[in-house]
Amino acid sequence: MFHLGWFLGDSTGIHKWWGEWASSNGTDWMKPDIYLDLATSLERGGFDLMFIEDTAMVEDTLGGTMEITLKYGEMAPKNDPMPYIPLMAQATKHLGLVGTVSTIQYPPYLAARQAVTLDHLTNGRSGINVVTSVSHRVAQNFGYDRHLAHAERYAMADEWMRVVSALWESWDPDAIVLDYEEPRYADYMKVHPINFEGKYFKCRGPLNTIPGPQRRPVVAQAGNSEPGRELAAAHADVILALCKNPDEMKALRQDFDRRLVAHGRKPSDLKILFMTIPVVAETDADAREVSRRLAAKRHDKDEIEMRLWGMSYASGGTIDYLKYDLDGPVPQEIGTGETTTARAWLENSAQMTLRELVTGPFNYGMDFVGSFDTVAEQMGEAMEVAGGDGFLVYEPVTRHHIINITDGLCPALRRRGLIRSSYDYPTFRENLLAFLSRTESG
Amino acid sequence: MFHLGWFLGNGTGMYPWYGTWANTYGKDWTKPGFFIDLATSLERGGFDLMFIEDTAMLEDTYGGSLDMTLRYGMMAPKNDPMPYIPLMAQATKHLGLVGTVSTIQYPPYLAARQAVTLDHLTNGRSGINVVTSVSHRVAQNYGYDQHLAPAERYAMAQEWMDVVSALWESWDPDAIVLDYDEPRYADYTKVHPINFEGKYFKCRGPLNTIPGPQRRPVVAQAGNSTGGRELAAAHADTMLALAKTPDEMRALREDMDQRLIAHGRKPADLKILFMTVPVTAETDEDARELVRRDEVARQASEAIAQRLWYLSYTSGGMIDYSAYDLDGPVPQEIGVGETTTSRAWLENSEKMTLRELATGPFNYGIDFVGSFGTVAEQMGEAIEVAGPNCGYLIYQPRMSRKDVINITDGLCPVLRDRGLIRSSYEYKTFRENLLAF
Repeated sequence: MFHLGWFLGDSTGIHKWWGEWASSNGTDWMKPDIYLDLATSLERGGFDLMFIEDTAMVEDTLGGTMEITLKYGEMAPKNDPMPYIPLMAQATKHLGLVGTVSTIQYPPYLAARQAVTLDHLTNGRSGINVVTSVSHRVAQNFGYDRHLAHAERYAMADEWMRVVSALWESWDPDAIVLDYEEPRYADYMKVHPINFEGKYFKCRGPLNTIPGPQRRPVVAQAGNSEPGRELAAAHADVILALCKNPDEMKALRQDFDRRLVAHGRKPSDLKILFMTIPVVAETDADAREVSRRLAAKRHDKDEIEMRLWGMSYASGGTIDYLKYDLDGPVPQEIGTGETTTARAWLENSAQMTLRELVTGPFNYGMDFVGSFDTVAEQMGEAMEVAGGDGFLVYEPVTRHHIINITDGLCPALRRRGLIRSSYDYPTFRENLLAFLSRTESG
Repeated sequence: MFHLGWFLGNGTGMYPWYGTWANTYGKDWTKPGFFIDLATSLERGGFDLMFIEDTAMLEDTYGGSLDMTLRYGMMAPKNDPMPYIPLMAQATKHLGLVGTVSTIQYPPYLAARQAVTLDHLTNGRSGINVVTSVSHRVAQNYGYDQHLAPAERYAMAQEWMDVVSALWESWDPDAIVLDYDEPRYADYTKVHPINFEGKYFKCRGPLNTIPGPQRRPVVAQAGNSTGGRELAAAHADTMLALAKTPDEMRALREDMDQRLIAHGRKPADLKILFMTVPVTAETDEDARELVRRDEVARQASEAIAQRLWYLSYTSGGMIDYSAYDLDGPVPQEIGVGETTTSRAWLENSEKMTLRELATGPFNYGIDFVGSFGTVAEQMGEAIEVAGPNCGYLIYQPRMSRKDVINITDGLCPVLRDRGLIRSSYEYKTFRENLLAF
């Protein structure tokens, strides 16, 4: 058995708004409706969680202006994802809801309190995805001239997580007395200041609310660089991972097993969810046809612009790919943004032209193409090799694409016993940690 | 006609959890049910808005420890109010929802974006109450050794509001093109960086989301000091005010009118909502009986300690009232916290003992006592004196469902019959309704 997460890759922002299946996304993306439909569909499908991305800027690396960004609605506009979580929670019972929180955007006290409040409102299904923010443009919205260097961002994030974790532990488990006769609500001897003083943060504490059903909300992490892996090994319950084949998946799982042990944790304390954009349909032939159409479309001018935009963004604002000849070589610089993504995209591109690269496969995680049954089989086989723990499915946010996964693929996975058919525990973390990876279970 | 707001004085936190009417609140305060019931009741009653207080600390001024705070659940525990707003919005159609945002807790970009997101989710009913945070304990949770002096807090808040306001204006009204054929979502020449560089904040912008139905969410302000009044005159649509008599109400209204004009705004651009803790019931006699019971209850040592706890809190952590003799004089120091509240509470206390003060009237805003009809009449008369653009912020400190219903289904119908409050919401957005009369 493996876990399933849904990657809401453009957060509570604008989704595919023109062309087939876009429906009313152009005018309705900010309304709660599509997110509620998504959440209830994921729960019907047997997903463990929704992983909600976030960024807080209007990108202008490509061409040095916001034109392409706002022409297509690339990563903007985008609403704050947090206010959607209580609404999605009300429409569901089991789905874990993970909102992205940046360590340069949220003071740790604000984030710790918000996550616990959401844990109360979701009955123990709240999680935060801790990120350091990718680009100078985000940092400049939050008081910086330029973003910190990559390594320092993660040093800061580690300290941020230590403050948040200490606040989450500031009420002892037995602090609440609820003596109606005396009366006494809580025992003040069991509520403790944290008196944290670090290089980046200072916080007295204690937190001014009581622990929620999970006590510690689920912590997710999305960076696969060396410091990203260390941050996850120290603090996270789940990590988003980019791998292109089962052997890479296995290698990453083993790498994490070692890191977790080094941090005094068990390998089963952290679940790895591997990004995948499956191309899946009723029959193998249908799926190949969808794949063929997607490949043909990648030669459109719009699609090429959007690919160049994505690469420029992932460079952290350091490379404007519009400056390069499409029929010349691919610049091999990695930049300072989403470095793992940029590396995956540039892999084996040394001999390619830029056009070949941007009209080629998307290269974002694992590729699966085929009928629901074929893809279910392939996913099971890949996980067999990797030894755990699940996939993070990334698709355009349209009702068609959602249903295709939750009501097409998921039943095929469930028939094979590859994904859950029920949620056995009341809280998100308990369900997430419910089944062991194959390596550990032997 | 006047406007009504509800002061949710302890945010989305603990309300009385023991004693009569507390019911399951000790366990259920973290759940949305009570707040959703409150929101639907307020809309039924014809309220314009719910004003949601917030603080982010455990207070330990009184007695120098958390004992009293956690024994009674005083201002703590308290959840982040913002996640409750979408839920209250889903259960209602017209009520304005104002969440408190502190300028030392929220980076302006985060607050600006959250308020606009909530404006989308509420269909144009989002508002923020901009505060500077009262005590060192809050500041210490947010990286400070000690809070700034009150004057500097307000200078910082002015700058914070300038950043937030600029972000709210960073998309031109006609920036969104939505051309499905080209395709083109927005015209990038109509979306502008703000490039703000001030003493406290630096922010490039533009905001990364589009304006909501109100474009600028409603801005509320709660401080009545000169710094607070200036902040309200420059930025706010509505203001919480403490006045004890109709004449004080009128004096404050006139002061704000002058300040608004000095800021190039009209008096009608700002509604003042006067705090009141009405004691009202079916008959005058019933209401007097409630007052009498309250007077008796105030003599209990538990009640005295709680009053002194509040005095200690509003001093901004400066004065521990547990250290003074109850039968000695009242220390006259004001402190650095909620200075307007402290002044109101200490008024005319020079000749009193601390016990007399702590067992005396609550003195929080204007007092009304009587049947629903009597109080409705008094409220109308006081507003008549105060002048236009005024209303009330109703506060029930020991809020239970019974206290909510007493106002929304007891007092409100009488106010409505007399034509003193709205019988419908004529406009789509919160600000339009707030500024309607």
